Amino acid sequence: MSGTFVTLVAAEIERPSIDWHAIAPELILLGGGALVTVIDLIWLERVRKLIPTLTSLVFLVALIPVITLWADGSGLPRGLWIIDENVPATGVWEGAFVVDNYSLVLKGLFLLSAYVIVLLSTNYMSEGDYYDSEYYQLIAASVLGMLVMSSSRDLISIFVALELVSIPAYLMAAWRKRDLKSNEAGLKYMLMGVFASAILLYGMSLLYGIAGSTLLSDIAAAIDIGESRPVITLGIVFTIIGFGFKVSAVPFHTWAPDTYEGAPTPLTAFLAVASKAAGFVALINVVIVALPTQANVVEPFIWVLAAITMTVGNLIALRQTNLVRMLAYSGVAQAGYMLAPLAVYDGISDRATSAVVTYLVIYAAMNLGAFAVVIIAARKTRSAELSSYGGMFNYAPGLTLAMTIFLFSLAGIPPVGGWWAKFEVFRVLTEGNRTSGIALAVIAAVNSVIAAFYYLNIAKQMWFLPSPDGDNSRIAIPPALLAAVGLTVAATIVSGVLPGVVSDMTDFVNVAAGQ
Amino acid sequence: MIVTESWYLIVSALLFAIGATGLLVRRNPLVMFMCVELMLNAVNISFVAFSTALQDLAGQTAVFFVLVVAAAEVVVGLSIVVAVMRRRPSATVDDLAELKG
Amino acid sequence: MFAAAAFPILPALIITPLITVAVLMLIPANRNSELKLAALVGTTITGMMSIWMLYAFEIADDGFQFAVNRVWLEELGLSWNLGVDGISLFLVVLTGILFPIAITATEPHHDPKQYYIWLTLLMSGSMGVFIALDLLLFFLFFEIVLVPMYFLIGGWGHGNRIHAALKFFLYTMAGSALMLVGIVSVAFLSQDATGGLTFDVVQLAEAQALSQTAQRLVFGSFALAFAVKVPLFPLHTWLPDAHTEAPTAGSVILAGVMLKLGTYGYLRFGIYLFPQAAHDLAWIFLTLGVIGIVYGAAVATMQRDLKRLVAYSSVAHLGFIALGMFVLNTQGIQGAVFQMVNHGISTGALFILVGWVYERRHTREIAALGGLQKSAPIMAGVFTLVMLSSIGLPGLNGFVGEFLILLGGFQGARWWTVIAVTGVILAALYLLWAYQRVFHGTPTEENASMPDLRLSEGLAILPLLVLIVFLGVYPKPMLERIEPAVERLVVHVEANVDGFEEPGPEQLPAEPATADDLTHTLEEAEAEAEAKEEAESLGGEG
Repeated sequence: MSGTFVTLVAAEIERPSIDWHAIAPELILLGGGALVTVIDLIWLERVRKLIPTLTSLVFLVALIPVITLWADGSGLPRGLWIIDENVPATGVWEGAFVVDNYSLVLKGLFLLSAYVIVLLSTNYMSEGDYYDSEYYQLIAASVLGMLVMSSSRDLISIFVALELVSIPAYLMAAWRKRDLKSNEAGLKYMLMGVFASAILLYGMSLLYGIAGSTLLSDIAAAIDIGESRPVITLGIVFTIIGFGFKVSAVPFHTWAPDTYEGAPTPLTAFLAVASKAAGFVALINVVIVALPTQANVVEPFIWVLAAITMTVGNLIALRQTNLVRMLAYSGVAQAGYMLAPLAVYDGISDRATSAVVTYLVIYAAMNLGAFAVVIIAARKTRSAELSSYGGMFNYAPGLTLAMTIFLFSLAGIPPVGGWWAKFEVFRVLTEGNRTSGIALAVIAAVNSVIAAFYYLNIAKQMWFLPSPDGDNSRIAIPPALLAAVGLTVAATIVSGVLPGVVSDMTDFVNVAAGQ
Repeated sequence: MIVTESWYLIVSALLFAIGATGLLVRRNPLVMFMCVELMLNAVNISFVAFSTALQDLAGQTAVFFVLVVAAAEVVVGLSIVVAVMRRRPSATVDDLAELKG
Repeated sequence: MFAAAAFPILPALIITPLITVAVLMLIPANRNSELKLAALVGTTITGMMSIWMLYAFEIADDGFQFAVNRVWLEELGLSWNLGVDGISLFLVVLTGILFPIAITATEPHHDPKQYYIWLTLLMSGSMGVFIALDLLLFFLFFEIVLVPMYFLIGGWGHGNRIHAALKFFLYTMAGSALMLVGIVSVAFLSQDATGGLTFDVVQLAEAQALSQTAQRLVFGSFALAFAVKVPLFPLHTWLPDAHTEAPTAGSVILAGVMLKLGTYGYLRFGIYLFPQAAHDLAWIFLTLGVIGIVYGAAVATMQRDLKRLVAYSSVAHLGFIALGMFVLNTQGIQGAVFQMVNHGISTGALFILVGWVYERRHTREIAALGGLQKSAPIMAGVFTLVMLSSIGLPGLNGFVGEFLILLGGFQGARWWTVIAVTGVILAALYLLWAYQRVFHGTPTEENASMPDLRLSEGLAILPLLVLIVFLGVYPKPMLERIEPAVERLVVHVEANVDGFEEPGPEQLPAEPATADDLTHTLEEAEAEAEAKEEAESLGGEG
């Protein structure tokens, strides 16, 4: 890449043309986000009610080029520049930005999750006392980071994307600024996040020092198989720790429960689903593309992380009495399952990737749904305490059924989505017939039983126990929230009953490396 | 005495360690924040040192990105710290125990 | 009725209850009788279809019949692979019969709509378990049935119902969690031998690609799941709670159908897929089975709660079935399959009767009951018949199954069987003693005024009584259908286990259980058992 830099400055500008189609989703989001900001600045109060709708529209419009790129699959993978035989020069950032099936699935996932998040936020924000237009603009910015992340194949662009995801999220976590809990949530998240970025960067600088390039494929080429030097190990471990914070892997999870509880609940859903997914995408990109030769270092490290993440997450979740915190710890445990395929990726990196992405997709549907129900319930009960869910079946049977579907899905009970996600993980773990993989599968299996205990505990409250205050008046569900629940229920059921729909999308050949 | 790149790398590692230790030991949010800056600067030194050693510009490019991102982080971070301080003057991280981690 | 080849009877068994669920959802929640009617019609149609299968079933064919195979997920080799053979046929029929009876016999005391929805969903899932020939599909159904049962126990149960429901769910899930790992492992390990990833039971069983250690480990993961479900001692502790707290229909289905998922699983998946491991480790299951027989009977004797007593009798009966299966010879397995059906019929009927007593008297304490024979002579008569079937009185269905199991057991596992025989005596002891305390004696005022069976109740339980007698005197139609599939399983075990031959001499006729043979042996045993019976009841009364 350095070569290109020099060429660009020295020689007359001869460059390949930009592949506008490939970067259209990002451009639309960038332009749309800016447009929404401008509209808000010009018309202020008069358009405030429209801002959420406009933002969600931007997400849906950005989804269009994702779909057309997918449909036009023949040209994939494509990059920032159109590769042209007649123009020998390469463009700057060549290879740093790659559009392939894998990144398109993730872009679709991020945009749809963001759409649901906006649906969840609409009433929450407009009924709170906090100025809310910027909230949506920050979400758009954060999602832009996620889109870039799914295409990043370069350490620098991964870092920039990760920060673009995180920095708006710090602000949003502290959104309810007169609420000390929210302040605390923002501060803890910010300090831990920045700390993680610093560690990540240090790891990246070491990787750069070893390989002499920030391009992931160059790093892969520069490190020989099984080559073992302390500096390589250190670079890898630091990088993975940095991502470990983002995906809330134990022992780097300490910020998650506090931030989740203190932040506005829709934002919690955003952090637990989209932001975590972005962390996983970064991890996959680095591990699969840059470190295929370093399985001997990466696998044991991730193995340990996955095992303790799922176990500790589940054990702490058992003791929670606040549903949001319980979901936070359950999210930690779920991150453990998602890490698991990366603990055995050597030789089957395509399968491992598709298992993680499948899990991310299904997890997004069921977890967003669970948060939607929590938000709806809180409109009536003003509480996320577990006991406040008592007797919900009596006054909100449909909502109870929806929550039950999400809970059974999270617990991995067929026929709803979660079982397929778990199955994919088990499949990868046992595929290589390696002791480490099967041992991790056994740990995961045992953990799914622990998890079932607290998920069922919630179901028990809703179905069998009386409501704590005897108030059985119905809950009025605003249309936006109803739509969010409907979408997530449908996605959860379809992914379980017709897993082919998901597996067709996530069955990629591989994560394309930039050239 | 010839100062080679490895000297810079050692300085960078030391700075990084100091920053990390400070972050873990100190309890004032502002000081913790400064420690993070220290760590980021250690990273910058390391990038530049490698860049020189490898005769490759990418490392120095990275430094620009790190600088910009760090500036953004400072803006956001300080605003959050200010928000907290307004509610709870002279707060340390330990005082923030509304939420039990 | 239907053209056998054209009509996809097996998918219909799963789908008809699902359609019923859809219909139930459309009926308003307060229309109690319409809801019951809809549930009854849906389950009865399903039941009729299963009975029709008896008629259409090719007796001599030892393979899978009515087979349906639709690809579900190609790259995984996952498919809707359904079929029945002699082993699963009668369990399907049992499911088909018990559900309408359970619905007719009892009423939910609240929320009938939900109740019937869960019950019909449960029927769909139970059918699925017995007819799935794809390992993964089987696992899905195996897990799915937990959900409706959890809600049935938790929503309509008695006493400590929520705790019982949770215990039931977690025990079963803990057992089956490792099975999923096992399922995926066996598919991958057999990948080369089967020529591609498949979860087809037949292909996997024919391939036999696992090394000895792998086979034992994977078999272990299956066995654990089934052992919880059966339940084998010492994993049975969920059962008394779940059975006692469940609503009557729940107990009937739990005992009649869901316990069979475990024993059926051993036959269809455990022994069939891993014959070597099953053979090597058979002694464990024989031992646990025999412990279950003696322990279940001993604990049942000490119960104060009538329903709990029946629940523990299940542990003993299932011990017999385990014994029969792991002897690994034709008589034993045949007896085990026969006994699975018997247990479903007689224990199902016992739970219904106990449920009726509870509805009338609002107690199940044996001490609080007494002299019911005076106030409810018909009920006492029905109870006697069902109880004698459960004890294994010759001439009733229970005897045939137990006899075959013991016959097989003496050839293959003599010493275990010797101990198991004491279980037969204990069964007579606890049931007759319970009968004596509940139905004999002078009734208290409340007991004296207890109403007898209503006509509708009598009609509801009548099919079970007919089956008890019919299968006792003329088991041939059932045995001859079970026989070929069992024979095939045993041959499969013989072929795949080094140096293993079916225990027991081949002196039995090739068609061992013709009615004549059986009647002959029955007569011999009858005199002996009757004498024992009398001694017991005399001893009890004196």
